[in-house]
Amino acid sequence: MEQKRHMGLKTLNRVSNTAIYILLIIISVVWLIPFVFILLQSFRVESTYQVGYVIPHEWGWQNYLNLWNSDFKRWYLNTFIIALASAVLITIIQLCMSYTLSRFRFKMRAGLMRFMLILGMFPGMLTMIILYRVLSDLGLTQANAVPGLILVGVASSGMGYYVSKGFFDTIPKSLDEAARVDGATRFQVLYKIILPLSKPIVIYTILTAFMGPWGDYVFARYVAFGTSAGYNVAVGMYSWLTNDQIARMYTTFCAGGVIVALPVTILFLCLQKYYVEGVTGGAVKG
Amino acid sequence: MASVKLTKVKKIYDNKVVAVHDFDLEIKDKEFVVFVGPSGCGKSTTLRMIAGLEEISEGTVEINGEVVNDLQPKDRGIAMVFQNYALYPHMTVYDNIAFSLRLKKVPEDVVYEKVTNAAKVLGITEYLMRKPRALSGGQRQRVAIGRAMVRDSNVFLMDEPLSNLDAKLRNQMRAEIILLREKLDTTFIYVTHDQTEAMTLGDRIVIMKDGYIMQVGTPTEVFEMPQNLFVAEFIGAPKMNIIKTELLQEGGEYYVTPFGAKFQVNDIKGEMLKKKAVKPGEILLGVRPEHISLAKPGEEGIDCKLVVNEMMGSELHLHVETEDGSSLIVRIPTVDLEDEERASLVAGCQLRIKFGGKVMHFFDPESEENLLTDKA
Amino acid sequence: MKRYSDLEYLRLSKGQRFANKLAAFFTGIPGAIGRFFIKIGLAIKNGFMALVNEIKDILSTFIHGDWKTKTSFVIMGFGNLTRGQILRGLLFMLFEAVFIIYMVTTGGYWLSMLPSLGKVGPTSEYNAVLDTYVTAYNDNSFKILLYGVLTIFFIVAFIYTWVVNVKQNKLAEQFLKSGKKLKSDKDDLRSMVDEQFYKTLLALPMTGILVFTVMPIVFMILVAFTNYDGAHNGFSNNLFTWVGLDNFNTLLSWKGGAGGGQSYSATFGEILTWTLIWAFLATFTNYFLGMFVAMMINKKGIRLKKMWRTILVMTVAIPQFISLLYVSKMFARNGLINLSLQSLGWIKEPLPFWEDPTWARITVIVINIWVGIPYLMLITTGILMNIPADLYESARIDGANAWQQYRKITLPYMLFITGPYLLTSFTGNMNNFNVIYLLTGGAPTNPAASGAAGSVGYTDLLITWLFKITTGAESQYYLASVVGIMVFVVVALISLVVYNVLPSIKNEEDYQ
Repeated sequence: MEQKRHMGLKTLNRVSNTAIYILLIIISVVWLIPFVFILLQSFRVESTYQVGYVIPHEWGWQNYLNLWNSDFKRWYLNTFIIALASAVLITIIQLCMSYTLSRFRFKMRAGLMRFMLILGMFPGMLTMIILYRVLSDLGLTQANAVPGLILVGVASSGMGYYVSKGFFDTIPKSLDEAARVDGATRFQVLYKIILPLSKPIVIYTILTAFMGPWGDYVFARYVAFGTSAGYNVAVGMYSWLTNDQIARMYTTFCAGGVIVALPVTILFLCLQKYYVEGVTGGAVKG
Repeated sequence: MASVKLTKVKKIYDNKVVAVHDFDLEIKDKEFVVFVGPSGCGKSTTLRMIAGLEEISEGTVEINGEVVNDLQPKDRGIAMVFQNYALYPHMTVYDNIAFSLRLKKVPEDVVYEKVTNAAKVLGITEYLMRKPRALSGGQRQRVAIGRAMVRDSNVFLMDEPLSNLDAKLRNQMRAEIILLREKLDTTFIYVTHDQTEAMTLGDRIVIMKDGYIMQVGTPTEVFEMPQNLFVAEFIGAPKMNIIKTELLQEGGEYYVTPFGAKFQVNDIKGEMLKKKAVKPGEILLGVRPEHISLAKPGEEGIDCKLVVNEMMGSELHLHVETEDGSSLIVRIPTVDLEDEERASLVAGCQLRIKFGGKVMHFFDPESEENLLTDKA
Repeated sequence: MKRYSDLEYLRLSKGQRFANKLAAFFTGIPGAIGRFFIKIGLAIKNGFMALVNEIKDILSTFIHGDWKTKTSFVIMGFGNLTRGQILRGLLFMLFEAVFIIYMVTTGGYWLSMLPSLGKVGPTSEYNAVLDTYVTAYNDNSFKILLYGVLTIFFIVAFIYTWVVNVKQNKLAEQFLKSGKKLKSDKDDLRSMVDEQFYKTLLALPMTGILVFTVMPIVFMILVAFTNYDGAHNGFSNNLFTWVGLDNFNTLLSWKGGAGGGQSYSATFGEILTWTLIWAFLATFTNYFLGMFVAMMINKKGIRLKKMWRTILVMTVAIPQFISLLYVSKMFARNGLINLSLQSLGWIKEPLPFWEDPTWARITVIVINIWVGIPYLMLITTGILMNIPADLYESARIDGANAWQQYRKITLPYMLFITGPYLLTSFTGNMNNFNVIYLLTGGAPTNPAASGAAGSVGYTDLLITWLFKITTGAESQYYLASVVGIMVFVVVALISLVVYNVLPSIKNEEDYQ
């Protein structure tokens, strides 16, 4: 009787595990398939429009050459500059903001946080109209869209302090206090104690700030406003899939997608650990 | 090396909660003062106000006669040991201890000397190159103390330094703190919730409750003359038995009548009662468990039933129930008992207990103040 | 509603308990709303009292202050300078000088034009030299509104600084009288990296937020009360002007739209309904399926945990516009899926993924699951692993099966911890521009709504509609502003209700 029951549990477990493996394999396939397809189609040279098969009949680098001969280089460089500048500046701003809100108890603190919560409830898109006009007055639109996009992206990044504040909140306050009793100024506390302990969140912030601009479409389109020299990859490549271009540019789009996704994905996989930490912490802290 | 004086110190939080009420205390140079009380009594807050980590809402804190309310912690000449040690996780033990010296731009060879000296005193020399993560709780505690030692501060503040240690280590570290105190020869302010620590370490004990000071005194004073019911019950373990009873005065002598028995108050306490002109009537009578003994047959005593017999090794803790259902605790050293007497003490058996007049404490049932002490 | 004592409550049946809770919830709403308004009332009252006290304080400072303090009422920083705080004094003076110069030169003009938003539009004038008509640009409504708002910000900042100036003088005077030393310039500079370090740290981020978020939002809220659009751009064709609440009337009234289609309010209602349905489904399908995947990978005995996770996580890294655009084309009429199904002979006509309203709505939700699961898997994995194992062990000993363990332990724990995340995720989905715009662009078009601004589609959310309004032919910025305000109102209401009525989220803070 005992023996039988034991066996029953074991088989049950085996059955459920097998089911899970099958499900996980299906999931993996479904999740990876589009990316495999993009990769395959980027090497298809017999036609440039959408087709009903996946494996190219003729393989070649033609689509990548097309990229090289288009404005894509410029878009890529634009995006890369924006991503790099954002990664540096947004990280500085968000860390200032979150460290302050986590560590200092000043009079306006609660009010400030509530105020930013309310500000966040306005759709950001609403401010585009005026920001576009202001940027255009400053000469930072169209061909000069890059500095304009950096400026706007960085300026209000302080509102995204939640995740890193959550991280700082987990560093015991008594460390700050001990350092202050030991004779450190607030600046020295930040520089000598907190920052060395914050590597995960610094990397997380840099990573997300760097990845953001690669997918930024709507505001980039608004600011570049039809001038190809000011496009980022998202805006530029979107234009390839419009009805009048898609037949000509579909496979080139796939090649571009590979070129854009590859470096970001590799970087991301290397720093995956920090990303996971940040995301999980952020959700728990709210 | 420094005296500390607190005058009408008050802490009011933003949500209008008052954590500390008009705290008055003078701490003499080189004194070891312990703040003790249940959690939330304001003892840590007071310590943190002295350290400068918490703003002082009202009143003044003086160190060596200088008002330090507006000074930063680092300018107050204090050193502090935190409950969770607050060691910098990314620095080695050496760097942890050297941190404050380096901030003061002390030359490296002086730093070396001071850090190694402190390490020697604390017996952590072999761990100097380790990170805190690789240390045990007791070792971390020593590093935290070492970090405070090298600051050559006027006042040494300790916020529940032993409460994260296990019982055995705690006893050991307690002894070491006593030794440390002799070596450092400076003013100590020590916060704990553990009355044993307070009694063993402090020159004077400050007992707090809900932000108020309940009593300030030497360990002997607070034990023998608790100012009020709270102190009486807080100090001493197991805690004092409190019995609601009648105080009688017959022919110039005072008597108490707990549970129908009648015990005479001894001369000294009687004199004191007379001097205070305490009127007979209802009182709260306090008797410590160790002051209750088993009555011999025929002696005046209280009849009760043994509910639980806790064998503590050197002593027995007897939980007894009187006829009207009140619970009392009796503490009896095992050496005083004959073997068969001990064997007869099983749950359910009937006992007769008594206590002498010398060890009684009398409290006002309304104000819960000790009837024999002067108002604080 | 009957109030039960704890012991009475325990005797109730499941249905009674539920009814009781439900009743408590609904009878609680008026109270919550009432408390909310009482809170607001109290806040206004307290604010007013504070203001009165402030004014009293300033008056008494003037009456009792010495001549240095009195002079500082006119020349800011005078007291600081004469009392030895040179740096502070100079900064105050500089600020006052800049303010006065600005107000005299341009600020006054912008402020005076603000009520009218400009009087003279562009005019055609005969230019004798060129022998042609040239357009002369006169007032610019856009700039008037923008700089008018800026000027008001500036004035508020000036008043605040002035009050600070007065208070500092009062304090300095008291300090000197009681024999204390004032902070020197050196102390001030040092405190910038110490006690006042937070001000240093916040200066840059807050300036950015003020200029690039707060100011634009104030501006756009004001635009909702004007007739600013493509035909009234305030500069090269017509000036725009204040129209009061007209735009709100247009959006919320039942009158037919411009093109003879249905009214704006009907369109708005349809889009709002779909936005809420979308946000609800997008949030909860992702949440539960993501948790399910995480639990599968976490299950004891499943190997290669890291590999399964990495496969899913990798898809997070790839920029959304690539994956979404690609998938969108995959599902198109002549996309990979339809073409291959046809060539396999399984279907004759292409499936109307993006052409049929219901198909399109289901497809975006399904694709959103594809987009969202890896992310949710990551989030929930961490939390699932934090659930103490002994809870499960004790539940198993108590005889709970897998489903009961999930229902009674996993789910309550997860909901409790991720409550706030669910709320932000819900509002985030309401404003999920990327997924909708890159997948469908709002298509298929809703013919009934074509009278309203832009071409509105069945998958349009409020946020994509807003985008279409501003980029459409008519560029009805005023309407976009009104829609934006509506989005804010909806999000704020939902957040308010969730935060105030649902106890599990209210207690969340205690739990942390």
